[in-house]
Amino acid sequence: MKQTIFLIAIALLTPALLMAHGSEDFLRSTGKIYSVVLAVVIIFLGIVIYLVRIDRKVSRLEKEMRD
Amino acid sequence: MADINITGYNSNYLSQRSSLQVWLKIDSVSGYQATKITVSGERQLTATFDIGALPDTTEALLLVLNAEDGTAIRPRAVKINSAEDQAPSVPTKLTNLPVNTFKTKAGFYFPYRSILDETIRNTFFHVALWMAMFALLLIGLYHSIQYLLTKRIESDIKAASYSYAAILYGLLGLATGSVWARYTWGTWWTPDVKLNMAAITMLIYAAYAVLRAGINDIDKRSQLSAIYNIFAFAAMIPLLFVIPRLTDSLHPGNGGNPALGGEDLDNTLRMVFYPAIIGLFLLGRWIATLNIRIERLRIRKLQSDL
Repeated sequence: MKQTIFLIAIALLTPALLMAHGSEDFLRSTGKIYSVVLAVVIIFLGIVIYLVRIDRKVSRLEKEMRD
Repeated sequence: MADINITGYNSNYLSQRSSLQVWLKIDSVSGYQATKITVSGERQLTATFDIGALPDTTEALLLVLNAEDGTAIRPRAVKINSAEDQAPSVPTKLTNLPVNTFKTKAGFYFPYRSILDETIRNTFFHVALWMAMFALLLIGLYHSIQYLLTKRIESDIKAASYSYAAILYGLLGLATGSVWARYTWGTWWTPDVKLNMAAITMLIYAAYAVLRAGINDIDKRSQLSAIYNIFAFAAMIPLLFVIPRLTDSLHPGNGGNPALGGEDLDNTLRMVFYPAIIGLFLLGRWIATLNIRIERLRIRKLQSDL
């Protein structure tokens, strides 16, 4: 589960990071709109990662309850 | 003779060439109109001015107007220095300037602010995150006070869960702000008062999480963290609301920079901004509720184990 999320994060972030380093003009093009897109991606990933942590807490609790 | 190259933004110079005018405004009543305008694209034009000698060095305001876009204004666009051998010139009275060209574009448009450009949309994400964080912290504070009044473990669980959701939002707020700074100011972080105070606030709340994690005795943990949470909230208010407004800050909305202040937040933005705050707040509330339910189960399990 953890690895999957990590891979999704890498897959989502890589194009943005590549462009950030390769040509700085991409994120600054069209009035810097893509830096807003990057902000939205960060918020999404942050909330998803937190929810996955809660999911694992629940799974652990379920397991403990069963035992 | 002087040429000025102008780059427009969302402008229609080429298609509105017939109604295009460029002015340099010297003072409230007079200015110069461009004698020749060469349009090289929808966003590109070169205006030629025939300006003679002026008594002093003058800062001029640039006006570009056409029938479709209305009037674009750039204060202090150029400085006019006069050479001694130039013939003195008389600026045209601005009575020739069409004044009815300030128009509202039809349709759904976001306001344009220099520096911010299209990132004015970060209002819906970055700013709304912080607003939702304040709401969550306020609920956390309420439950901390409730705990001290009633000593019910339920209140402690609620206070902690709401504060953790708020910390998540605060960290995301710092991250999104940092990304914005990277592409606006050219650096991930600057020692700006607003940024540093936000970082200090997050460190104070990080200490809250550390404090809770470090104490095993449930009663002691609840008591200490409730008191700490009240102090942390009291520290947050001057750090985020007062100090950045007392000094100059690069951050939009502080120290004269464009953002939420007064005229900057127009109704188009409000239409999205307020629902965004409510949405993020409800999302945070849901996350906190999940945590509360887990902690309740854990407590119940502890009790049944005994």
